[in-house]
Amino acid sequence: MSVNWSQLQTLLWLRWRLTRNQWRRGGAVNVVIAIIATVIGLGVAAAGFVGGVAGGAMALGQASPTTIMYVWDALAGAFLFFWATGIVAEIQRSETIDLRRLMHLPVTLREAFVLNYIVSHFRFSILVVLPAMLGLALGLIVGHGLVMALLFPLVLGFFFMITAWTYCLRGWLVALMVNPRRRRAVVMGITLAFVLLAQLPNLVFNVWPGGPRHVRGKVPADRAAAEEFMAATARKNSAMKHSLEVANMTVPPLWLPFGAGELAAGRVWPAVWGAAGMWVLGAWGLRRAYRSTLRFYAGQTRRKPAAPRAVEAAAKPGGLILLERELPAVPPAAAALALANFRSLTRAPEVKLALGTNVAIMLVMGLMAFWRTRATISATVSPFAATGVVVITFFGLVQLLFNHFGLDRSGFRALVLTPASRSHILLGKNLSFLPFALGVFAVLELAAVVLARPPIAAIAAACMQFAACFLVIGALGNCFSIIAPYRISSGSLKPTKLKPLMTLIIVASQMLFPLFMAPVFLPVGLGALCAHFGWLPGGAVNLVLSLLLVAASVAVYGFTLKPLGRLLERREQQILQVVTQEVE
Amino acid sequence: MELAIETNGLTRCFGDVRAVDGLDLRVETGRFYGFLGPNGAGKSTTIKMLTGLLAPTSGTMRVLGQNLADATRAREVKQRVGVVPEDLALFDNLTAREYLTFIGRMYLLPLPTVRERCGELLAMMDLQNEEKKLTLEYSHGMKKKLALAAALLPNPDLLFLDEPFEGVDPVSSRVLRETLHHCVKRGTTVFLTSHVLEIVEKLCTDVGIIAKGRLVSQMTMDDIRKTGSLEERFLAAVGGGHAEAQKLSWLEE
Repeated sequence: MSVNWSQLQTLLWLRWRLTRNQWRRGGAVNVVIAIIATVIGLGVAAAGFVGGVAGGAMALGQASPTTIMYVWDALAGAFLFFWATGIVAEIQRSETIDLRRLMHLPVTLREAFVLNYIVSHFRFSILVVLPAMLGLALGLIVGHGLVMALLFPLVLGFFFMITAWTYCLRGWLVALMVNPRRRRAVVMGITLAFVLLAQLPNLVFNVWPGGPRHVRGKVPADRAAAEEFMAATARKNSAMKHSLEVANMTVPPLWLPFGAGELAAGRVWPAVWGAAGMWVLGAWGLRRAYRSTLRFYAGQTRRKPAAPRAVEAAAKPGGLILLERELPAVPPAAAALALANFRSLTRAPEVKLALGTNVAIMLVMGLMAFWRTRATISATVSPFAATGVVVITFFGLVQLLFNHFGLDRSGFRALVLTPASRSHILLGKNLSFLPFALGVFAVLELAAVVLARPPIAAIAAACMQFAACFLVIGALGNCFSIIAPYRISSGSLKPTKLKPLMTLIIVASQMLFPLFMAPVFLPVGLGALCAHFGWLPGGAVNLVLSLLLVAASVAVYGFTLKPLGRLLERREQQILQVVTQEVE
Repeated sequence: MELAIETNGLTRCFGDVRAVDGLDLRVETGRFYGFLGPNGAGKSTTIKMLTGLLAPTSGTMRVLGQNLADATRAREVKQRVGVVPEDLALFDNLTAREYLTFIGRMYLLPLPTVRERCGELLAMMDLQNEEKKLTLEYSHGMKKKLALAAALLPNPDLLFLDEPFEGVDPVSSRVLRETLHHCVKRGTTVFLTSHVLEIVEKLCTDVGIIAKGRLVSQMTMDDIRKTGSLEERFLAAVGGGHAEAQKLSWLEE
């Protein structure tokens, strides 16, 4: 297949212009940051190459084959991590040069495929890691002899295999994402999988009974026991080393480290087979990618067309749909917006992603922090765990609560056009988040009960603190949503077209968030103090003060709602301009 | 003569560009007003200002007799106005019925009325079989029809329709035209922008032509018919005669 050089140059230029325009849209500060990042990237690439040569020639000149394998493992692992991060970011972006934007031009499908594949190599992760790998290979030739030159086909085979299969995966995802609803679900699924995968080492390391944390420990004072301990540790280390070797031998992306280790040991054939295997696998991946592109282009997807899901009993004669329900003591317009927004949020994969990720990460962190020490948590500390859950719950929701209108996008236009009171709009927005906050709080509080066993009074106080926080954070969120709104691209929680000042406000609001939440620790802190000095029962103090906190929060929320409604009325046109900005 | 829309020196700037430049508009109540102009003339910007989606840089606006500068009055006006904005105003994650129910409830209509009107509007726009789809999955034409249904739902005294027929199929378009005619007969004022001169010619009683942000012509359709066609009037008003003079050199060879 022939590739037209001029067209390839044009596509590279297009890719560059899209990237450059994206930087420029962000303002001057963004351009400066991007330039600095590029310079740093190029510097890292150059340093990686020089460091690789020096490290390979000197530091690893006398290293054992196992050490060399581990070094390559680390390099391959780092590349795969950055590569995967790039993929996650890429599928959330709409600026890919897809076939729909190419096929009306004078190129054949095959040419378009090849051009696109070549262009897909211009990635930051390749730019940074490839020179380091090539430098290391060069250095190892100096240190271990010419046999290490076989590392070059190994390295190139590694990149070919990874990029080809990534391209295949992306083609498959593109076919999946033709349906806009499914597109968001796919983006969400991949991001969530990536986040959870990134947390896996934490769990293995800290929680899994066979993990390294559990293997390590203090050497017993008794000599016999110490010897037994050392022998057990050695056995486990040896088993781990064996597992790593097996993994290097069997997992294709690790054939590069395996081949490097074998070459260092003077064994050529494993490296040859490894390189050949990776090139063959890469070619297979590319062939699959091309065939799926062909099928996609011809509309021959084997998948059944997405059947519209039964949303709810909308058509049920006589039955009330959710949006037709009333909320007791809530003004009709606020209730309508609360229910519509709630319904909308339950269907937004990006919201599920945010909530799911937060809960998962918090559970992992909770397990890491408390799992091994759960039996020794004192009665003084456990009430803090119950209150801590309140803080963690809202910390995870801050992006949603502080940017009410960002997810509305064009829908915000309907709110501007509506005759409803703006304070009712804010009330409705706040109420729509309540079930989510309550759900996350319930799950995490349950985990806290299992891990830290706080007393009933502390749990009841935490419930009141939750209510207080919901009101105060609601008022603060209303304020931030009006003053510093930003658009969120569909299918992700990624802010788009952020101005530097806005970025600063968002970062500041998230960094200062613990400060906003500090008062919630007052009841439990004072309770602990009273109990410590024997002045009053800690639980009772915690309960009473939490009740006062609720009363104060109700006053704050009630006092701010109308003025913030007026502020919303004054700023709604500016907010509309921000949240409806289209992204190329 | 009661005016549904009245603007004086209405101006909107975007940086150095004056998108709308000192617009003095008079639309009588109960009229079907067609607002025409070439691309970028300022039609949508005018509608956005009249509906509260965009603040004017200067000038005054009165809609249904109320000054829009007064926030309370502006909200009262919104209660009596239906809008199909240029970029629509739909929530991605709601179904058509849910969206219409939401709009109805925001206009504080009683629930039985909302249900009845939703059913009728969905049937009229041929969307009743698409009820389970989210608006995210709708085609452009379906989204437009849903936005039109939402604008009609509160039975408004004034309808602002920005390119309402763009992307709408001929069957729905005809039903919609008849509905709008019926609304005007009942006393509703319709303010419509369109690029399709035939539609404006058929539907409208009055026509305003805007070019480079300025109102260059405003007259009744009857007066236009007396002196020629709407197309001639339009081309004369916006200086479209130049188009014939502009030819591509390589097509002449």
